[in-house]
Amino acid sequence: MTERSASRRVLAPALALAMALPLGVMVMRAFADAWRAPAVIPQGWGLRGLREALSGMALDALANSLVVAVVVTTAAVALAWPAARALGERRVRHPALPFLLLALPLLVPSYATGTGLTPWFLRLGLADTLAGLVLAHLVIVLPYVTVVLLSAFGPPVTALEEMARSQGLTTAQRLRWVTLPAVGPSLAAAVLLGFLVSWSEYGSSLAVGGGRPMLPLVLLPFVRSDPQVASALSLLFLAPAAAALVLAARAARSPL
Amino acid sequence: MLFGGALAGAVRTSVTRLDAGGETLTLEAWRRLLRDPAFADAVLFSVRIAVLATACSAAVALLIALTLRRRGTSLRALAALPVPVPHLLVAVVAVLWLAPGGVADRLLGGLPVDVVRDRAGIGIVLVYVYKEAPFLALLLLAAMGRGMHEREEAAAVLGATWWQRLRWVVWPTVRGPLVVGCIVVAAFVLGAFEVPLAVGPNTPLTIAEYAQQATQDDLLAGEGLQAAALLVAAAASILLAVAAVRLAKDPQGD
Repeated sequence: MTERSASRRVLAPALALAMALPLGVMVMRAFADAWRAPAVIPQGWGLRGLREALSGMALDALANSLVVAVVVTTAAVALAWPAARALGERRVRHPALPFLLLALPLLVPSYATGTGLTPWFLRLGLADTLAGLVLAHLVIVLPYVTVVLLSAFGPPVTALEEMARSQGLTTAQRLRWVTLPAVGPSLAAAVLLGFLVSWSEYGSSLAVGGGRPMLPLVLLPFVRSDPQVASALSLLFLAPAAAALVLAARAARSPL
Repeated sequence: MLFGGALAGAVRTSVTRLDAGGETLTLEAWRRLLRDPAFADAVLFSVRIAVLATACSAAVALLIALTLRRRGTSLRALAALPVPVPHLLVAVVAVLWLAPGGVADRLLGGLPVDVVRDRAGIGIVLVYVYKEAPFLALLLLAAMGRGMHEREEAAAVLGATWWQRLRWVVWPTVRGPLVVGCIVVAAFVLGAFEVPLAVGPNTPLTIAEYAQQATQDDLLAGEGLQAAALLVAAAASILLAVAAVRLAKDPQGD
């Protein structure tokens, strides 16, 4: 047995354990109706956590978070595409300014951004609405999506598109058969990142949402008061993120 | 435009007061904020946690990247699993494992120190390291893939020791992405507050927690205080970023 395969035999299970054990305990806690100390294994199993979690605002929160994350990701990709393309193909004469504008929302706390938007949204009737939440999340998600998409565009993609044009492909055909397959992995990563940032956004949701239930806002109080309900809600919180990860991995592997 | 509006809105809220006569321009919120010892504690606590969490995440990320750089994609994918998991979920896991009465407590018959809701903020730092180290490691592995192995071999052929290769080949390759990643992590830690709310102590508060509490104590006057505190957090993030970029600059200018 070589040294490399021996270390691999240690590394892989160690990494797998470091990832699986924490989440495994969360699943166990979600279905442990009785788990008194010092027992390491629960004394009683049941669905109290799930029932309690779903009896409150969790379903509304799940729907709100899902709608906002999907709309924000779609809007962010639509807005970031031309910007990333112009920056990636170096068509911007002074790129420092757009890069600075992209970096600032990543540096400024999202709670600060949300708090600053609230007085304007109050005047425009956007406070406490899903549209307001979408706009607030968009400020934070757009830079992430643009930065990831940026890496996809550049001379190789432009050259491929030029070849396709010279072969007589229309704009739609070039997009379908050349551009999308070429930028597919970056696009999938951008969609995944955009969705996850919006899905787990706390600060701006709290500032702009006016009490409208969003999943992270509903989950947090239970972390201190009832770990079983917090674990059950965490499973709901994790599900779309895991699905988005699987979809993005598949999209990154196969041509669009 | 939205972001500029947000900053302008925060500044405006921090210098106006709503009363019966309408809006009045005043620096009262800033004066209250800068005189409040609880706010000074919050700034110190937040900066300490941000620096500690970022430095520990960077060190762990370097270790992960150096260990996995010649490994296959399956091991890298395993190590990257915490990246898409929301921070709040990692905080829930930390409470289940490390809080008094948690799994670690039961397995070991007691932990030597409190690591959840402790005044030093160890729990907060642990959550961020678990979540951010794999993110930074991904950035480092991407940078290491670009011909670093060949440069290292060339240096080894020329007689460079392991330490010399690390100093003169690996470090210049990873320094840029590491600094950029650390800036993103530090800025996030400075401003986020779901993790401190879940696993942090009741005192001292982080800046974001202080800002949230300001509106709970006094809804009208608290808005100005909240906006001013968050502007300080934003300024601290930008200052940390500028300092990190300056520190990371090579003395020879590249």
